[in-house]
Amino acid sequence: MTTTLLDLAKVIRSKNAGPFEVTFDIMFDDPAKYERVKKSGVINAARIAELYRVRVDDVLVCRPYDPAVAFKVTIRRPVGSGDIEDRDVYGCQQHVPLMAIEVPA
Amino acid sequence: MEEIVGLAPSGSMGSGYNLEAFKRGMAAKPHFIGQDAGSTDMGPYYHGTGATFLPLATYKHDLTTMLRAARAQRIPLLVGSALTSGANVSLAQAVEIVREIAREDGLSFRMAVISAEIDKAELKRRLAQEPFESIGPEPLTPETIDRCGPIVAQMGVEPFMKALDAGAEVIIAGRACDDVIFAALPMLKGFDAGLSLHCGKILECAGLSAVPTDLAEPLIGRVRRDHFEVEPCHPDHRCTTVSVAGHSLYERGDPCLQPGPGGMNDLTNAVFTQVDDRRVKVSGSRFIPDARYRVKLEGAEKLGFRSVVLVGIRDPFMIKALDLLFADVRERAEARFGMAAKGVQLNFSVYGKNAVMGALEPMTDADPHEVGVLIDAVAPEQELATGVAMFVRGTLQHASYPGIRNTAGNMAYPFSPFGVPLGPAYRFAVYHLMPLADPCECFPMTIEEVRN
Repeated sequence: MTTTLLDLAKVIRSKNAGPFEVTFDIMFDDPAKYERVKKSGVINAARIAELYRVRVDDVLVCRPYDPAVAFKVTIRRPVGSGDIEDRDVYGCQQHVPLMAIEVPA
Repeated sequence: MEEIVGLAPSGSMGSGYNLEAFKRGMAAKPHFIGQDAGSTDMGPYYHGTGATFLPLATYKHDLTTMLRAARAQRIPLLVGSALTSGANVSLAQAVEIVREIAREDGLSFRMAVISAEIDKAELKRRLAQEPFESIGPEPLTPETIDRCGPIVAQMGVEPFMKALDAGAEVIIAGRACDDVIFAALPMLKGFDAGLSLHCGKILECAGLSAVPTDLAEPLIGRVRRDHFEVEPCHPDHRCTTVSVAGHSLYERGDPCLQPGPGGMNDLTNAVFTQVDDRRVKVSGSRFIPDARYRVKLEGAEKLGFRSVVLVGIRDPFMIKALDLLFADVRERAEARFGMAAKGVQLNFSVYGKNAVMGALEPMTDADPHEVGVLIDAVAPEQELATGVAMFVRGTLQHASYPGIRNTAGNMAYPFSPFGVPLGPAYRFAVYHLMPLADPCECFPMTIEEVRN
């Protein structure tokens, strides 16, 4: 059975970081699970770009952050918050594709 | 002075807060109460119009408790980004609410009012001297400035410090960077900028950095010489190293490098330590001033007026045919209204397929049994927007498609009326960095002696 981020992370959330970026926090309540994901390297800019179908250049931040036992990912929004084609003003429902990222044993 | 204690009642004024916990917070003898009252989170409409997000009575409710408590203990009350956009029209409303509460309660105090709206002629004059760096939208032009509603700048800590220095007991400020509201008094008393701002960043969302997470739970911050400490006011809530460090991530692009007015707060070497069950201590945050002091400008340009029709579709053959039907009705609407020439924008969002994520949606083969369709028209006049949305609705209602069995009507309406005019539509067009010679120069302060 494959393990996904949904199985390992406690929090997987998205939110605007200003009107032109959307930022993702992947947080863990078990440092061992965090270390496992960190070691696996599955959370990387290329994978994020592929998941969200954006250019790698539009992945602005993608890194672990040890003090919070968390990963931080930030991408450029394809449309600004509340702009004419935007349908998620807060940017808080963009997190779901991250759940399916597979983590090797 | 060993420490400066700040109390944050809630993460967003108007949300209400736990009064029992607030009283516990006041019993900790804070040196000030700070409250953030605005954001760009709710989208461009509020910056475009200057309208407040919530009814004024909601803000009055929260302000009454804070003002009474602050006056009873003779400590300053600092409110930033009043209200929502922090433009002058809403700042004046906030000030009027404060005067009203003071009259009703017989309170007297010195009030500083700090404006954050930038005069458009002045802005164009500055822009003519040098272009402003964009942090999102297109380069700023005088034409964009003209299309915008009020344009505000996020003030830094300096205008608040100036007001405190002038003896202000109540500070009501327009648009301000969230953390500076809480950093002003510690910095005025000589505490470290990096620690004061980082503590402010934690406090500005109040209980959001505690467990359980709750924006409406008050939080206490204590800034000391070489660290700061945070603690929730609710006796059963806890701050943990993970909850506090985790909050450093919240709504910021980078966890370690957090740019603000005049510099960058560098949290790379921040250390989070559990003091006891409910308190966390933080050290190592470091403020690095920029070579040039710059503030973030915010403004939203008007795109026209929006009208929408919201419908539901259950028929599987209709759902399969949606893309073709949309293309066809778009052509007919173009022929009928000349949309391109008039600058009308027509959009369809299919809830149940990809409305929420749009271009970012990876699931491209969804096969839902029912969908919601939002027909969204933005036009130079409200009448035209409604006309287009209703024409599109009428055409789709009786359109034919492969496999059709039901010839009586294609769409289910959740309510009558069908067409809803939503008023003006905006987009954030100003999100640029403007250099200042003096951190206070665009943020004029007036002092008012409120006497009752």
